[in-house]
Parts: sequence; C-alpha cells; structure tokens
Amino acid sequence: MFTTSRRFVIALAASSLLVTCPLLAHDFWLEPSVFRLEPGAAVEFRLRVGEHFVGDALPRHPAMLAQFIAAGPDGMRPVPGQDGKDPAGVLRIEQPGLVVVGYRSRHSFVEQKPEAFDAYLAEEGLERIAAVRATQKQPPGLVRELFSRCAKALLVAGPGGGSGHDRVLGFTLELVPEKNPYAMRVGAALPVRLLYNGQPLAGALVVAMNRGDPATKVRARSGADGRVSLRLSREGAWLIKAVHMSPAAAGSGAHWESLWASLTFELAPPLAPRPVKKPAQ
Amino acid sequence: MIQRRILLPVLALVALTLVVCGAHEMGSTRVAIWISVDRYRVELVTDAQALADKLAAASRAAPGAALGAPEQRGFGERLRDRVTLAFDGVPVDPAVSYAVSPATRDIAAVVTIELTGPLPEGAQTLQWTYGWTYASYSLTVHRPNQGQPSVTWLNGGESSAPIVLSGPAPGDSRLQVATRYLRLGFTHIVPYGLDHVLFVLGIFLLARQLRPLLMQVTAFTVAHSLTLALSIFGVVTIPPSVVEPLIAISIVYVAIENLLVRKLKPWRIGVVFVFGLLHGLGFAGVLQELGLPRSELVTAVVTFNLGVEAGQLAVIGAAFLLVGVWFGHRSWYRRRVVVPGSALIGCVGLYWTVERLTF
Repeated sequence: MFTTSRRFVIALAASSLLVTCPLLAHDFWLEPSVFRLEPGAAVEFRLRVGEHFVGDALPRHPAMLAQFIAAGPDGMRPVPGQDGKDPAGVLRIEQPGLVVVGYRSRHSFVEQKPEAFDAYLAEEGLERIAAVRATQKQPPGLVRELFSRCAKALLVAGPGGGSGHDRVLGFTLELVPEKNPYAMRVGAALPVRLLYNGQPLAGALVVAMNRGDPATKVRARSGADGRVSLRLSREGAWLIKAVHMSPAAAGSGAHWESLWASLTFELAPPLAPRPVKKPAQ
Repeated sequence: MIQRRILLPVLALVALTLVVCGAHEMGSTRVAIWISVDRYRVELVTDAQALADKLAAASRAAPGAALGAPEQRGFGERLRDRVTLAFDGVPVDPAVSYAVSPATRDIAAVVTIELTGPLPEGAQTLQWTYGWTYASYSLTVHRPNQGQPSVTWLNGGESSAPIVLSGPAPGDSRLQVATRYLRLGFTHIVPYGLDHVLFVLGIFLLARQLRPLLMQVTAFTVAHSLTLALSIFGVVTIPPSVVEPLIAISIVYVAIENLLVRKLKPWRIGVVFVFGLLHGLGFAGVLQELGLPRSELVTAVVTFNLGVEAGQLAVIGAAFLLVGVWFGHRSWYRRRVVVPGSALIGCVGLYWTVERLTF
C-alpha cells in the first residue's frame, strides 16, 4: 500500500517536471472523408492540426471537445463519435442539400518565449496585439496564451445548388461564406464574413489556401462589415482561416486568449460533370 | 497488482498533462522505445495520410497520394532528418522500416515505423526528438529491470529530457553508487516502509532484554539479505502478488504471538527467519523497480541492504530510547505497552492482508 502510493507521488512529481508546453501556432481544420456525397451516405470527420494544409490527426477527446454539430436542411444535431477514435466523428446525411459541420474545442494553454510570441503575432497578422504589447511594460518570463478552435466544414449532399451555406452556428469566432461555393466557378470570388460573438469583426487577416498548392496563400483583411472577398483560382479542397486575439480574462492565468476559426469546402472543376469521389485513405 | 502499479502513474500523468497544459492538443501519434540488453527498438505509430502528405510536401509533390513502399521517395533519409535518437548525447543511425495498417470501419489507416539498431556499449541515457508532428504525442520507454515504463508527452521538435536506462545517473563512481543505494535502502524503511517498520516493532515489543532482541534481528537480517541477493541475481523469482500479502500476514503473526506468549519461545527465531526471507523478496522487488546499475550491481545490492539494516536499527533504537529504557522493566509494561501496541500492529497488518489479497 505504502510503496504504491509512493510511486504514485513520484510519478506525479516526475511528470510535472517533464510536461512542458512550448508550441508554435498551428492551424486547425475539419477534414471530411468526402465533401460531396449522395443523400443517405456516411461521411467521416477528422480533426487536423498543422500548417500549409498538412496536418496530424487528433483523436476525439472528451476533455477537449466543447461542441461537434451539424446543421443541415433537417435541422441541427450532434456529430456522434467514439472517444479516443480517429476519425473523430461520423455522420450519415439523409437529406439533399448543404450541411454545415462545426467543431469547437475547449481551451488549450501555450507558453512561449516573448520573441517567439512576437514572431507568431507577425505571422498571423495580429499587429494590433503587437502594438499593444509594444506600449506595455512586459511581465517577465514566458508569454502565456489560452487558445481554442472554431472549425467548420461545408458539405453538400446531392446536387450542389440551394442555400444553407451561410448558416451561423454561433461559435465565438466564425467564418461564414456568403455564397454557395458548390454553385461557384473556379476563379470566382467568394465573399466570407468573419463574426466575433455574432458581430462583424473588422481588420482581421483572413487567409485561404488550396490543398493542391498550399504554399500559395490568398490573403485579405476584413472590412468594417467583417467581409473579405477571396478569389479562388483552383479546384479542389480549400481551407480558409482567421485568428483573433484579445487580452485574457483576469484570473485565467494567461496573458492572451486567441480563437482560431477555419472553414473547409471543395470547389468543383470548371465546366465538367461532377467527379466521382474516391473514399479518403 | 503490477498492472495497477503501471496504470496508476500513467493515468496520473495523463490527468496532470491536462491540468498543467489546460489540455494539450494530443494527436494520434505514439512513440514507444524498447531497450534490451544489447539492442534498441523504436516503434512510431502515426496517421498514414498525414505521413504521406508530409512526405509529399517535403518532396514538393502534390499531396493526397497514398503511402508507397518504404524504399520509395527516400523515406529513410527524410525520416532520419527529423528523428534523433541519442545515447549519452551521441546520435545513432538506426535501420528504418515501416508497415501500413489499412483503415478499418472506424479507425483511420496508420503506419508503424520501426527504427532498430545495436545499443551502444555502456549506454546510460537516451534522448528522443521527433520533429515531424504538429500535435503532441506520447513517448513510452521500456527499460530492462525497470518495473514501469517512463511516459512523457512531447511536442513536435521538442527533445525529451535524458531518460536513464537503468539505475543511477551516468558516470557515477562506486562511492556515489554506494551512497545513493545506502540512502535508498534507509528511506525504504524510514519513512516509506511502514510495513517493515511495524514488523520490526513487533519483534522489539516481545523482547525486553538485549539478547533475545539481537537474536531475532540477526535472524531477520540474515534471511532478508539472502533472498534479496538470490532474487536480484535471478536465482529466485516470486511475484509481488504472492510476496506482498505474505509480508502483511507476517506482521499479523508477530503481533498475535506477542499477545499470546510472554517470553521468547525457541521457534520464534525460526519464524522470524522465514518471514525475513519474505521481506527480502519485497526489498528485491523495490530495488528492481528503482533500477540497478549494470556496472556496479554488487555495490548497489550490498549498500541497499546495509541501508535497510540501518533503517531497521534506527527504528529499534528509537523505540528502545523512547519506551524500552524507561518502562521496559515496569510491571505494567506488558499490559500498557506490549498488548495495546501489538494489537494495533496486528490490526494494521490484518487490514493490509485483506487489501493486498483483494486488489
């Protein structure tokens, strides 16, 4: 009895020394096994964390998951899945039409050196935060940041027409496409609105990238109405993302809090019949 | 019992990871390292599509392709650029292979990468770095002669702290090993070895004079030294699930005999000797889990045993100074000290017996 509890204490002490949390800012997105499917088919969702549209899989984790929902023609419902499993969710889509799927995470916690934090602010277009930091006396030590994810994917069952692409899920930070990309041609501009607590967010950097050429980024700043217009010049899967940061709430133990919104969807090839999708690997 | 011992710290670690990091983004990648006497083997299990995409990005090819055969696309070289396994600070150059497990109904396809090679002579520590992941992953290291594997959560590009392969820190001299194991032996009695303390107090309570006390302590010492050595050098192996309850029973026995018998009977020495054999096996189990230096095995075993001995003598000495010297000759000593003390020891021993048998 005594020795077991001693080992427990040692393990606790050792792990508290070993667990450190340095991390760079990575994108987060929802990756469905298919973006277009026939009504009645099932689609699997994987949670991806990475950069340039290349990411690692995160299994479904009950402590991390705040909301995992799908909003389609038949209303809003949770996306089921098994804890600890990758893919994180599976959904059968019965009715034809557009379906918005959303995953919202709980807070994660990151500590970075001030220089690394400043580099990350520059990379994510968070100059406003950098300006605030420049005017303040900085606390010593690492910069502590809380962050959470607000990822969405837009899918279509059956023919690509119709509405429902602009359904708002109510995430704290949310990208809302104002045109149906499944009814769009390659090379057209997609208007996207960025909402923060349901209100348009101005001056935020919105970045889009295509799976076939993720190094080439389409960037735009949101206007006073929270809108950007992104010219999508390639067919295939697209990832649009935006980051918003604010001072962390008092008592949270962090200096800053960031929200990461993303939206994934697929653009059809120009003037061609709808391709038969291969199941994802 | 062993299962629980491993599971508890692992669960604690996971829970603590959540608390400390406010829940990290824990990916599906898992790394396990097995160290044997002369070889190492690393098993890196990760998402097949993610690895294929990373390979494509590294070769500036279009993503989305399936993972080909390992020899294709210079896999080994690309992986070696992003993995570092170092023993005592010197990186090794492992053989690389992998196998893909296809997706099943509800599990995505994973690839198992294996890195193998000979263990450098006299290696004391290992350090692991994997830079090809965006999420955090767990690193489990299985070491020889270590009861529980070491588990760490790491981020991509982050190096593990040096993990000691067995026993003491690298480069310890014989004197350092001796000091360290002497202290470990002592602390295994005081304050951590409450069961052994109670057994020794049980011995103390029955013997008012020095002679019977010394006889019992000697029998106990000879016995536990014997089984500690036999067990460490692999002559005897008895699982803790058997030894631990028997140690608890030995405490109960000593306490009950204290209540029933007024004077040291000749058989008591024999009984104490037999129980000493059991306690020695218990010490050996602890010593195995602490880990032993391969180069200074004898030094460690001998000094650990001496430390255990010193701990027991300290308990007896303290009991003698606090109680025996003052009240040992009083007429009420048995009624007010021996009987209630033994009863208490017996109850605790009984509780442990039940606990160790049922869990």
